[in-house]
Amino acid sequence: MAALPSYEPGSRARAFLDRIQTAKYDRQIVNGLQKFFDGSLPEEMRSLYSHDELEALKALRGTPRDVEKRMPVKVTRHYFELVRNSRALQALIKARPAETDDLEGAPDPGRQMEYSPVEGMIHKYELALLYVASTCSAHCRFCYREELIAKKEIIRPDGTVAPKGLADVGGVVTYIVKHNEEVALAGGRHPLTRREKLREVLLSGGDPMVLSNANLGTWLSALAEAGIEQIRIGTKELAFFPARFDSTFFDMLDKFHEAYPGIALRMMVHFNHPDEFLVKSADGSYTADPDGGLVWVSETKRAVKEFAKRNWITIDNQAPIIRGINNDPDALRIMQRELRRNRIENHYFFCGRDIIGHRAFNVPIEEAWRVLNESQKGLSGVEGHARLSITHYKGKTEVVAVTNEPLAGVPGGQSGVIIFKLLRSAKDAPLKGKVAIAGRNPEAIWFSGYADRVIFDELGLFTEYIEIARKQRTAASELTESLV
Amino acid sequence: MTFVVVEGCILCKHTDCVSECPVDCFYEGPNFLVIHPDECIDCGLCVPVCPEKAIYQDTKVPPEQSAFIDLNRELAQAWVPITKKKASLPDASKWSGVPAKLKYLERKT
Repeated sequence: MAALPSYEPGSRARAFLDRIQTAKYDRQIVNGLQKFFDGSLPEEMRSLYSHDELEALKALRGTPRDVEKRMPVKVTRHYFELVRNSRALQALIKARPAETDDLEGAPDPGRQMEYSPVEGMIHKYELALLYVASTCSAHCRFCYREELIAKKEIIRPDGTVAPKGLADVGGVVTYIVKHNEEVALAGGRHPLTRREKLREVLLSGGDPMVLSNANLGTWLSALAEAGIEQIRIGTKELAFFPARFDSTFFDMLDKFHEAYPGIALRMMVHFNHPDEFLVKSADGSYTADPDGGLVWVSETKRAVKEFAKRNWITIDNQAPIIRGINNDPDALRIMQRELRRNRIENHYFFCGRDIIGHRAFNVPIEEAWRVLNESQKGLSGVEGHARLSITHYKGKTEVVAVTNEPLAGVPGGQSGVIIFKLLRSAKDAPLKGKVAIAGRNPEAIWFSGYADRVIFDELGLFTEYIEIARKQRTAASELTESLV
Repeated sequence: MTFVVVEGCILCKHTDCVSECPVDCFYEGPNFLVIHPDECIDCGLCVPVCPEKAIYQDTKVPPEQSAFIDLNRELAQAWVPITKKKASLPDASKWSGVPAKLKYLERKT
């Protein structure tokens, strides 16, 4: 591998970095099932799994169905305390043998490696994504980056095989500066991709909030110096360990804002269920706040208020709808209302991706649409405008509507139709806004479930899946013939 | 809940692990490094970069080295954090792979 250009902060960045305070955090993480098996945990934490559950998981160790090989087990003390009184959060954090019943799925969901110009960077849309950490404080079982977290080997477009690596500041800055120079020279559009200047970058992983303030500050200032105008931080730390958002962190942000006042920060947070941020009584009910709304977990509320105070920072929530966790209209209605009331926008809800083992987690696409649609009944327009998106390798695709009435005279439409629209498309978004319509299949958990009932497809959403289905039919009929 | 530095590091102290650690949880003594068990986030990035293969997950520490689990906790509280890589100890290559180095551990900073 060629040596990456090293990064040396300039004088403005250096002055900012020298003023960052660091703090230490005691997340009290439990990592791996071993400590549950050997009982070396505090008594109350051992109770997360029953004896029978542990025996079933133990029996899979070292086999191809080992749940920890698919996705390592990890939880913080803070999240454990929330989980104790929540079946939904137990489904999010506890490993189950069913996760490895069916290991079908894409080794690299979304085909990110086809859009990776530099290690650890995905430049697919107008926005670029960086892997800056390969772990989180705790692990969602349904994680769609399981290949990164579990450090699985991925086949690259050039045929080499290696785990996904992390982004390096020097390599990323060099790429951005060069890309934007090429755009400027060509008069505002990149000569090959027709993209505009790269203005927005998402720090992702893993969770960037596991990094130290100094490490985060290095990313923020390096991206600002490279010409990035909006920086996103994708994090679930408000749910897993809100104490991470302490005074030293906000002090770092304030100093960054002093040094780079033109840069906007977009916190992309991840709450799946209101049990992750609301105080819940033993009988399972939430508590009305005399000042309005419901009572929040104090540490989480404090962190959200600190973000909301700063007018250069926005907060958006996005979350997948996962079976047994939040395929519950009432929970989602409460969540959307409470988030918006506290200055957090409801951005996207997602259908589960085709990760390895996705059959254990995914809600049928039509059911996810129904759940979100039901949840938004009773919400005002500003509370309930989040869309349902499913990530096709061509781009983020909205599930616009599912109809219940037959579409008269249209073959495939006898039981109603499902309508998709492409929200985002790679490079200069040539397919944005295009639509596909298919006959309903209430069982479908991925695009392949509609391959035999496509009615209209102006964006090629189903082309590849129809071809795969045709090959499977041919192979099956050849097999039948050879048996006869 | 943590990774643990074991005997192989003593008298070598290459510090490659320090530049990998995302949370700066390494602490430095005169001839050894340790990981603070409450600050480590279990990412495992330090493991492959250690030239001495001297870092293990706490549940996978070889039995004869298990005393290092407590030793990491104890010394992390006594020593100062190290956040940037520095040169290996001068005799690192001489001590690389030498067994039973615990008796050479210097605790005083």
